Amino acid sequence: MTAPSGARDSAGPSLEVHLDSWLREFGPRQREEVAADTVEHLLDTLESRYPRLKFKLRDETGRLRRYVRVFVDGEDVSGTTGVGTPLAGARTIDILHSIAGG
Amino acid sequence: MDSRIRILVGTRKGTYVVAGDSRRRRWTVGPVAHEGSEIYHVVADPRRPGDLYAAVNSDFWGPMVQRSANWGKTWKEIATPLTPGGKDRKPEFNDSDPLSPVKRPLRNLWHIEPGPADEPETLYLGADPHLLFRTQDRGASWDPIDGINQHPKRGEWSPGAGGHCLHTILLDPRDARRMYIGMSAVGTFRTEDGGRSWTPRNKGVITPFLPEKYPETGQCVHHVAIDPADPDTFYRQDHAGMYVSHDRMDRWTRIGRPLGDDFGFCVASARAAPGRAFFVRLDGRARVTGEGHFQVHEWDDTRRRWRKLLRPDAFPGHFGVQREGIATDELDPPGIYVGTTTGQLFVSPNAGRTWQLVPFSFPGIHTVSVASPAAK
Repeated sequence: MTAPSGARDSAGPSLEVHLDSWLREFGPRQREEVAADTVEHLLDTLESRYPRLKFKLRDETGRLRRYVRVFVDGEDVSGTTGVGTPLAGARTIDILHSIAGG
Repeated sequence: MDSRIRILVGTRKGTYVVAGDSRRRRWTVGPVAHEGSEIYHVVADPRRPGDLYAAVNSDFWGPMVQRSANWGKTWKEIATPLTPGGKDRKPEFNDSDPLSPVKRPLRNLWHIEPGPADEPETLYLGADPHLLFRTQDRGASWDPIDGINQHPKRGEWSPGAGGHCLHTILLDPRDARRMYIGMSAVGTFRTEDGGRSWTPRNKGVITPFLPEKYPETGQCVHHVAIDPADPDTFYRQDHAGMYVSHDRMDRWTRIGRPLGDDFGFCVASARAAPGRAFFVRLDGRARVTGEGHFQVHEWDDTRRRWRKLLRPDAFPGHFGVQREGIATDELDPPGIYVGTTTGQLFVSPNAGRTWQLVPFSFPGIHTVSVASPAAK
């Protein structure tokens, strides 16, 4: 399903985004097509389409929350390049919550 | 109108609404909400029966304020305030400056306080890092109270073990411009002008953990209760003991000395028990009831003496109780409600004369409050 475009949707490649079941409470319930050139851009676009996602994935400083994991074509970039990760050539993004808690 | 009494229980794993019968003897647990989230405070809005507010702190998705309009059957996320400077998503955040909490992201929400009766849309919210907000539209938006959030000395304010928490908000029922707050590990403050300016009010409270023993700020206040019959009187559970003030916090007097170790986290007062305060004394090292059983101590401020409300053999064990872990209701005699970190919920329907356990094991309890019908 493709939602109405955000302000910067035209930039970057078109990616297929999957959110895990917990996050579907706040965001898209099915896979989402998003055009973005970085993870930050992708999250900005998702949040503009689904305002309840705002501050769920990132805090006010723009950092990914502790237990949010972003996978670019299967590679976890959360603890490495993070939101600055370029998405040129990427095809799929998975946004998941990590195994944590007790 | 549904006027049953309800205990609102916030736990490590969600919110529980517990409804009682008219005698406060039989209790029904449910509805349950916010499964998996840490609930630091749940409160009923006495101006709109059925409206509840919850301070929901999710390990995964961060803090959020939620409201129910039907006694907790359903909840809806409402606006959550942002840290000052954070709205543009690029604040002057600086990792190397840990004593500048205004530059830190909003962490946990600690306390929601309904505003005065004649301002039915107003509520206050206390949060980490040392932040105070006010809504005048029932949570559709929140305005920062800059007298605290931009206080010139906040760079000197340190956290307690629970963080930079602003956990206590008290309103003077006679004057909406006069308010009080408590912060760890900063102390208590008072405003006389509706929040524009705040002055520390910690005189007489010792800080054994600092080189200076009676500083202006730096006290680790744990919780404060206002005496409903005399709003100039306050009862304080501090890290360093139990105190009373009779002059709007201008001066504090330690009352806990006769108890020996007067450590604890919580304190409550009750409308139908003027001049009395209820404390749960804990062992200062173990942070559980040190006498080997559950106990509540009642302070009689008129006679200036202490009384234990339970027999030693009533509920043996070591119980932890946190800062929002005790509450009273509006009835006469007042009910007293205590939730423990190991999930017991103790109830006395008669000002402490008899006690029972609600027959349900909760997750560890952070907060207990009561939505109470008024006394007849």
